[in-house]
Amino acid sequence: MSAALGFALAAAVVVVAAILVVRSRNLVRAVLWLALALLGTAALYALLDAPFLAGVQVLTYIGGVVTLMIFGVMVTGRHTGAVAEIDRAGSLRGLLVAGGFLALVGGAILSTDLSGPPPPPPPTTAELARSLLDEYLLPFEVTSLLLLAAVIGAVVLARRRDPGLAGEPKSALPSLSSEGSLR
Amino acid sequence: MNTPGTPELLGLLALLAPAAAALVLGVVPWLRRSGGAAAVVAIAGSTVALVAAVAVLAQRAGGGPDVLWTVSWLEAGGRGLARVGVRLDGVSVPMLAVVTFVALAVQVYSVAYMHAETARSYGRYFAYHALFLFSMNLLVLAPNLLQAFAGWELVGVTSYLLIGFHFDRPSAARAAVKAFWMTKLADMGFLFALLLLYTAGGSFEWTASLRPAVAGAVTALLFIAVVGKSAQFPLHIWLPDAMEGPTPVSALLHAATMVAAGVYLVVRADPLFAQAPATREVMLFLGAGTAAFAALLALVQTDIKRMLAFSTCSQLGFMVAALGAGSAFAGFFHLGTHAFFKALLFLAAGSVIHAVHSNELSQMGGLRRRMPLTTVVFAIGALSLAGIPGFAGFASKDTVIGAVEGQGGGVPYFLLLGTAFVTALYMGRALLRAFFGPPCAAAAHAHEPPLSMTAPLVLLAIPSVLAGLLGGWLARSVGAEYHLHLAPTPVLAAALSLAGLLLAVALFRQGRPAPLAAFLERADRASLVDRSWALLYRQVLIRVADVSRWVDRYLVDGLMNGIGWSTLETGSAVRPVQTGRMRDYVFAVMVGALLLAWIGGFR
Amino acid sequence: MMLRELLLLAALLFSIGIYGVLTRRHAVAVLLSIELMANAANVAFVAFATLRGGPGEVLVLFSLAITVSEVAVGLALVMLLHRRYGDTVLDLAQEAKG
Repeated sequence: MSAALGFALAAAVVVVAAILVVRSRNLVRAVLWLALALLGTAALYALLDAPFLAGVQVLTYIGGVVTLMIFGVMVTGRHTGAVAEIDRAGSLRGLLVAGGFLALVGGAILSTDLSGPPPPPPPTTAELARSLLDEYLLPFEVTSLLLLAAVIGAVVLARRRDPGLAGEPKSALPSLSSEGSLR
Repeated sequence: MNTPGTPELLGLLALLAPAAAALVLGVVPWLRRSGGAAAVVAIAGSTVALVAAVAVLAQRAGGGPDVLWTVSWLEAGGRGLARVGVRLDGVSVPMLAVVTFVALAVQVYSVAYMHAETARSYGRYFAYHALFLFSMNLLVLAPNLLQAFAGWELVGVTSYLLIGFHFDRPSAARAAVKAFWMTKLADMGFLFALLLLYTAGGSFEWTASLRPAVAGAVTALLFIAVVGKSAQFPLHIWLPDAMEGPTPVSALLHAATMVAAGVYLVVRADPLFAQAPATREVMLFLGAGTAAFAALLALVQTDIKRMLAFSTCSQLGFMVAALGAGSAFAGFFHLGTHAFFKALLFLAAGSVIHAVHSNELSQMGGLRRRMPLTTVVFAIGALSLAGIPGFAGFASKDTVIGAVEGQGGGVPYFLLLGTAFVTALYMGRALLRAFFGPPCAAAAHAHEPPLSMTAPLVLLAIPSVLAGLLGGWLARSVGAEYHLHLAPTPVLAAALSLAGLLLAVALFRQGRPAPLAAFLERADRASLVDRSWALLYRQVLIRVADVSRWVDRYLVDGLMNGIGWSTLETGSAVRPVQTGRMRDYVFAVMVGALLLAWIGGFR
Repeated sequence: MMLRELLLLAALLFSIGIYGVLTRRHAVAVLLSIELMANAANVAFVAFATLRGGPGEVLVLFSLAITVSEVAVGLALVMLLHRRYGDTVLDLAQEAKG
């Protein structure tokens, strides 16, 4: 009974926060709403007997991603609360497609028989760790490669032009003409 | 079976030697532009052709057989459609000999006559001559109607090129176009005849056998082409205008050979025409009518070349009438003799024109003292044309009149007899006016032309007298009969010719004009036929052409342009889809994915 | 039973994320919306793993790693965008315009 209540609460928090993320005019607030949504999700994971994941969620998502987003907002100078506009036409299109998707998937979910055998007990953290190095060794290694590539890529992309150095680093974008157009 | 033997080779030689000369002159510009050398090449080609023709003639005289040698040229669906080659028989061989002989004489004459031209023009002239001889031989030696058509069209082209030789003269250019357009119009008949012949008869042979209705249609269509090419009424008016070309050209093309091609065609296709008595009837009357009509107009011409042109019309009418009467031999005989004496007359006239620097008879007179040779040969030609007994023209003309006797209710017969009288009259007039009587202004320093011009004249004069003796041989060659005996018709004809001549002398002595001169002169000036054709051309043909051009420009081109334009417009209209904005592209991708999922979900 | 509701929740979250991607003009806002979408997928994974067994939890770990990489690179691009155009409204980058 209390479990159901917990679920309902967590779910509500996540949904409300999500909506606020996409509708908030102030970017900083939007980021913070995202943080709340992710927190709610972590609560859900905990309720679903996946405590390790809940912890990882908090650490990486909220601790890492949200922080990055804040940085992004700061760097791009929109932290003064300047308005991040939403336009009307895009709003309609978004509603249409989002609604369409929801209808489609929701319909699929509702019309599927989801009953099944009772599940085995959820894996412990130790078991998770072991499987990472056992069945999922290859994806594990590939993912580490992916992370490496992302790091290097992000660094290269975000480098600033620095004329002081010999062999001057170039910006990653191809050079534009004075108009800022390639045509 | 298809490797050529000696006669075939000779025939091919007659065909290909002038072709080679024309090709060389066409392809090697510096040779053509060097003037004299071009003349040598052309004359060499013609000489070879003549030698070959004479050799074939000799062979046949010694009892050689008819020869047919062809190669397949066009095939359709595995079946032979067209063959080209040479056919040497009793009709084509004499014709070949006549054509090459006259052509060579004219070309030699031209060497001196055209000397005033620039080297480039001179070479161009001889190149055209070589092309013409090849084309004419292609027609003469044709084994079927298709090759004959090719030769027919080609001589039309060379005629255009040579009439308009001095193309910087507007009158010459116009005359060339007029000749080409009128004969082209008539050639439609030939084309349709070919189509009909093939679809109904299955081949292009001279000897096709057809149903009566088809034979009538085919021969009628062919005759339309003959009317054009041989300048019969009402398509005769291009011929007097064609005199704008150099005089040797008038002699060769528009007297002896090209215009006679129409007659030759009918002689060749005699088996076809024998199946169409209705067409023959028309030919009989049209030929006789043209003969009379043209002779009367010749009587009042002041330009010596125009007079000879009308005379040619008239004599061709004789030939056509003979063919209409069913005697291909008579027409052919007259064709041969006419070639000699008409060419002779033109060339001699050329000498006279050269001496007095004018074509007008009024500017001539008393030339016999300073140009005796020219006088004699002109007289020979004139007497032969007038049909005075003892000359070749008498024999052939008499054969013609004899052939039409008793046909068509006697009308053509009397027409032709009357024409014989008028012919003698106008030739006498010309002869006396030019060479006798008080000397004209230029007579004082007139002189005989050089040997290269007088030799051809003499060479043409000989057959103008003696060719009549070959009547029997020619008749046997074409498979007809020929007897020259004392009968009312030849006597009557001879008498009329002499009478005409005497009347000419009498009138001339007194300086009086010919009878009916005033009326005829007015008719000549009115040139009703000419004006009618001009009207037709301007009001009908040009208008139809304008409509056609409008359709082509606005409908056909418009369609094409419209397709292009609409493509571009569509492109421009569709362009805004590529906004360059990421959000729009994401939207598109999502919508697409959604649609796919939705559709997939419903399967 | 729970599974159905959880999946519906995931679908709802995902839709909200779609709405955000299509609607927002600022680049970072779009990234936030993408985050929502990825998060929704993770919820579905965990739901299945807990209620029906399977590799869901491990997959969430991988999903996290991938998402994090994508955010890093995405923010680098945002910085480039800002530098080039002086603003981060995505509509500015119109080089693909036809």
